[in-house]
Amino acid sequence: MSILKNILTAIRGGASEAGESIIDANAVRILEQEIRDAETAIGKAKQSLTNLKATEIQLKRELNSLQNDAASYESKAMQALESNNEALAGEVAARIAEIEAEAADKSAEHQSLSAQVNKINSMIRQREKTIQKNRRELEKIKTVEQLQKATSSMSTNFAATSSSEHRVSKALDRVKQKQTNWEDKMEAGEWMAEESRGDELDKKLSAAGIGASSSVGGASVLERLKQKKAGQ
Amino acid sequence: MSLSELAFKLNDHVTNEGTRFDAVLSEEGVLEVVCSNNDEFPINIVKTDTQLLAITPLFDAKEVQAEKLAELNEELLYMSPAIPLSSIGRQGSTYILFGAMALNTVFENIVHELEIQAENTLEVLQVVEPLLV
Repeated sequence: MSILKNILTAIRGGASEAGESIIDANAVRILEQEIRDAETAIGKAKQSLTNLKATEIQLKRELNSLQNDAASYESKAMQALESNNEALAGEVAARIAEIEAEAADKSAEHQSLSAQVNKINSMIRQREKTIQKNRRELEKIKTVEQLQKATSSMSTNFAATSSSEHRVSKALDRVKQKQTNWEDKMEAGEWMAEESRGDELDKKLSAAGIGASSSVGGASVLERLKQKKAGQ
Repeated sequence: MSLSELAFKLNDHVTNEGTRFDAVLSEEGVLEVVCSNNDEFPINIVKTDTQLLAITPLFDAKEVQAEKLAELNEELLYMSPAIPLSSIGRQGSTYILFGAMALNTVFENIVHELEIQAENTLEVLQVVEPLLV
């Protein structure tokens, strides 16, 4: 049965009251220990699989060598027959028979070992899948455990303030108020920056002799008065 | 990155949008983060073997108008897929907004997630506010 289903049943059953854990800490530790044990067992199984595989490869090599020997003797026996040396051919044939018997033994041993290697290999893969599944299950449990931890402190606060009506509305209003203040400040800041930029521009224009002169000298006033008098 | 390292970096960080963070790691191993764009609803960060969970408790089931509970649940179900980066759930009697990140999430993305989650919280609460007491 899925662990998630058990957790949901526990949550719905109201086991998640403040301070009460829905997760059995011992169960988590046992599951963790089981995963660790299974991993150790797999590590050992892999080690013996490596040894078995090495023996299998060695047997295969020996088998090939025997088969090559048999082929080589066969060709030599043929040569002996061609040269009508039947006695020698007979000796070679006896040797071939010995080699073939040995090869048959090795082949049987190799096949049995090969089957064993495949079986252990698939068993390890199966166990690894189980471990991965258990790890995912454990992660679900830990997630719920952490969620509960993260939620519980605030839940206590909710409980403490439950008598206060419109808690959320009031909090939202405060956030809105702060945001409005912040926006006002930003706007003021932008206005200020704009103003300074305007001042800067005026200074630049003035320096370039463009626009109204900010400082009107006495000489220019006198000149203006003289012109006014001449015009009368 | 450990939660204490995350707290240290968050306290020293300002986003492009001007959001600041106030992060405190509790004895229970919960990192409480207050984002300046929403300082009324803190985000609690916890860590499992594979992920970082950012959780904002929203309200208690007791705070929902009794006759509106079914309507609220339906609203939240409809809303959940539309909220970027966050999901809505319930833990015990507490409704939560949460986001999950892989443990190797880079700091900039964690910050982005937190900033968005703080905004999402306000948006969700504004929608359901009429259904609360």
